Amino acid sequence: MWVPGGSQRAATPWSRAENALAGAALVLMGLLPVAELVLRAFFRTGVPGVSGYVSHLTLWVGFLGAMIASRERLHLNLSTGMVALPAAFDRVTSLLAAALSVAVGAGLAWASLRFVLIEMDSAARVAGWLPVWMAEAILPVAFTVMTLRFVVQAGGWRERAFAALGIPAAAAIGFLLAPYASYVVWPAIAALVAAALVGAPIFVVLGGAALVLFFAGGVPVAAIPVETYRIVVSPTIPVIPLFTLTGYLLAAGGASRRLVRLFRALLGWMPGGLAIATTLVCAFFTTFTGASGVTILALGGLLLPVLVKSGYPKRFSAGLLTATGSIGLLFPPSLAVILYGVVAHVPIPDLFVAGIIPGFLMIAAVCVFGVHKGIRARVERPRFDAREAAAALWESKWELLLPVVVLVGIFGGFSTLTEAAAIAVVYTLVVETLVHRELHPTRELPGVVVSCATLIGGVFAILGVAMGLTNYLVDAEVPMKAAAWVEAHVESRVLFLLALNVFLLVVGCLMDIFSAIVVVVPLIMPISQVFGIHPLHLGMIFLVNLELGYLTPPVGMNLFLAAFRFERPLIEVYRSALPFVLVLALVVVLVTYVPGLVIGAGGPGGLVARLD
Amino acid sequence: AKTIKIGTIAPTGSVWYEAIRDMAEAWTKASGGEIDFKIYAGGVAGDEPDLVRKMRIGQLHAAILTVEGLADIAPEVLAVQTSMTFASDEELEYVQEHMAPMLEAIMENRGFKVLNWGNVGWARFFAKKPVVSPEDLKPLRLFLWSADDAYIEAWKAAGYHPVSLAATDMHTALQSGLVEAFATPPLAALSFQWFALAPHMTGIRWAPLPGATVITKSVWDSFPDDVKPALLAAAREAGEYLQREVRKLDDEAIEVMKKHGLVVHRVPPELVPQWERSTRAGSDKLIGSLVPPEAAAEVARLREEYRNLHRGQ
Ligand code: NA
Ligand code: NA
Repeated sequence: MWVPGGSQRAATPWSRAENALAGAALVLMGLLPVAELVLRAFFRTGVPGVSGYVSHLTLWVGFLGAMIASRERLHLNLSTGMVALPAAFDRVTSLLAAALSVAVGAGLAWASLRFVLIEMDSAARVAGWLPVWMAEAILPVAFTVMTLRFVVQAGGWRERAFAALGIPAAAAIGFLLAPYASYVVWPAIAALVAAALVGAPIFVVLGGAALVLFFAGGVPVAAIPVETYRIVVSPTIPVIPLFTLTGYLLAAGGASRRLVRLFRALLGWMPGGLAIATTLVCAFFTTFTGASGVTILALGGLLLPVLVKSGYPKRFSAGLLTATGSIGLLFPPSLAVILYGVVAHVPIPDLFVAGIIPGFLMIAAVCVFGVHKGIRARVERPRFDAREAAAALWESKWELLLPVVVLVGIFGGFSTLTEAAAIAVVYTLVVETLVHRELHPTRELPGVVVSCATLIGGVFAILGVAMGLTNYLVDAEVPMKAAAWVEAHVESRVLFLLALNVFLLVVGCLMDIFSAIVVVVPLIMPISQVFGIHPLHLGMIFLVNLELGYLTPPVGMNLFLAAFRFERPLIEVYRSALPFVLVLALVVVLVTYVPGLVIGAGGPGGLVARLD
Repeated sequence: AKTIKIGTIAPTGSVWYEAIRDMAEAWTKASGGEIDFKIYAGGVAGDEPDLVRKMRIGQLHAAILTVEGLADIAPEVLAVQTSMTFASDEELEYVQEHMAPMLEAIMENRGFKVLNWGNVGWARFFAKKPVVSPEDLKPLRLFLWSADDAYIEAWKAAGYHPVSLAATDMHTALQSGLVEAFATPPLAALSFQWFALAPHMTGIRWAPLPGATVITKSVWDSFPDDVKPALLAAAREAGEYLQREVRKLDDEAIEVMKKHGLVVHRVPPELVPQWERSTRAGSDKLIGSLVPPEAAAEVARLREEYRNLHRGQ
């Protein structure tokens, strides 16, 4: 079974310190809000400034994690295994990509250093005492370390020397070419796209684009870290690392095995029962781990042999596990939904309520398809065993209670979203280490926590620079201009929705969901307002479209992860996922054109009183 | 031509937006077309701390700020916002007018030129249950508009139950009962429609929310000296327009909300000192830590001065 936390062995004292700091910060994020809740409830006191601490710990976890991700070469990129080049050519291109990564890294380090120096003027204090610039200082440190790592990882001394040329190159462009900035844009963007194709990290490509565009627009590049800081310390973002950690703890504590046993015992007797069970277990896991890919990694290896052994075709089984890696995306506490709420300024619990029907439609579509396949393939169906079902239910009772704890906390008015996420961490930690005892608190836990911080680092590095790119678009008034253009040229609402679907399909093919939310949502919001699309409906259209994007080539996170986990060529994974793409596309169409399926989008509840 | 990028969290079409647009037109005219504007309204350029950051790095050049953003530049502004200090608009106006030179000098020292001063309205308490005395408010979970950590701690110390939360989560928090009361200007309670879930307003004006339009000093200094007086005059005019409109809107908002079920609870005069004592117990703690003591002392002195001047009337 795959267990998170295998690869982060720390060889040097510096790596050990990095791991320890990132892990401690992440655990503290979970403990502080719970301590605050307990103290408030029982002792009428609290932890002063807890929300300020948690926000800035998020920043530290994110960027220490990003440093570790670059140490372990785990930054997400677009092309893993996509383009196969002749070896000699491959060496040259990857060397060029390394030099470009170094140049972009140096640019981002410079930009964040400028930002931190300017922030020393600010009167703002974290938790009332710590000057904010001290917390923000992690940004230039992280980008500097990552840049140096790009140099070191380029190869031998000659390759390193060549890659290091990226630093003077960036400086030369930044300081000497300023008068000719507008000529730099297109060649630079072309170089970035090429680098993306040969495996440069996504954050380098987006960050490079943001640097070049601001540079050409005559706007100080410190505008990028301003936005990085803004998104990472916004009030709901701490929920992302916290729920991701919950997912990692569940996976490492054997919850995946217990849940597979349970759903098999409950549903295995039905036609297609195992496919349904697979879908439900994956949905459960995805809600906690969101778009992070943990579902495929944790469950794929466990479930594929089970499916094949009971008679499902191999290609169908692999496709099912690839598709269900993102199937719970709309249910609480999914990270994608939370990020959407933050970026679009839509109440997050309302989004979750709106996602109930579309989310179940997604699951139902895959289940119906699974039942169909199960009947056709004459899959063996064990008889229902009430004893086994009861035993499995009893074994997984603690995990089944987790969603209840979270939902009661949020919707019952007992806790904020962040507090609920922190409770989930502490609850899962107790269940997996003390109750089930499948996660050793000193031998295994640290590795799992660091591994989780690494993944968060990869995501936050992308989020941060994507926000910088969005800042450029807003600065150049692109969303407003696009809205005006569409308003002038698109007549009907249906036509607009159609165009939106096609556009989002293309976005889903080319971008990962995190950068898409950050970059594309501000772009389509003003336009949708013109056509009177309800914000919750727009949210659902966007999220189901991008859920499909996990499965569409060339950039589909589930495709990459499935290829990695099942050790199959990407092209084969594309083919096995295709039927599921078509099935899920039906749901996308339903959600787009039948707004009635989105609870709360019929009209804003209560009254509409305006002064104007 | 110089393009001034100006940001505000107020939405397109609001009075604040109108005020910027009027000022922009006047500036373009006064400069003979040398100055034009790009307006980033509705928070597209970020919340107030983000606007201040973007002015500091030079991405934005100007902004309309409330006390939240202003305090990031000069915490002295917070002295005007202290709880239950002013008995009337006139008293507040007198104090603000006399504080202005001191505050403007401080802001200028920190790289910002103040173009005009104004207020975003008076913050009042809205709750799910009737609140007449401070003891009614204390047990309720209270949302404070854009309060930072130090404020939250001060309110806790005074015996209240403040909750820190993103404004976007307020609607659900009110529905689920996580938040049972909040303090905002009436206009905000109306435009976010929070009052529908907390329909009891307490009939006291708890604190004014000062605001100002600022421009970075480097941009201001780049304008020709002979144009500056005309620019400043246009900005002041926009400020006066805002002052008038906001005061009117504050009252109108209450009337509109009343028609939709808001109940305003009168606070008997004998309870007012109790409110003063109780809400100030927390904010007085901030003097010296968050609020510079000299500014707080000056506000207190000016208020007494006003009261002495008008004692006979
Ligand atoms: Na895709
Ligand atoms: Na994708």
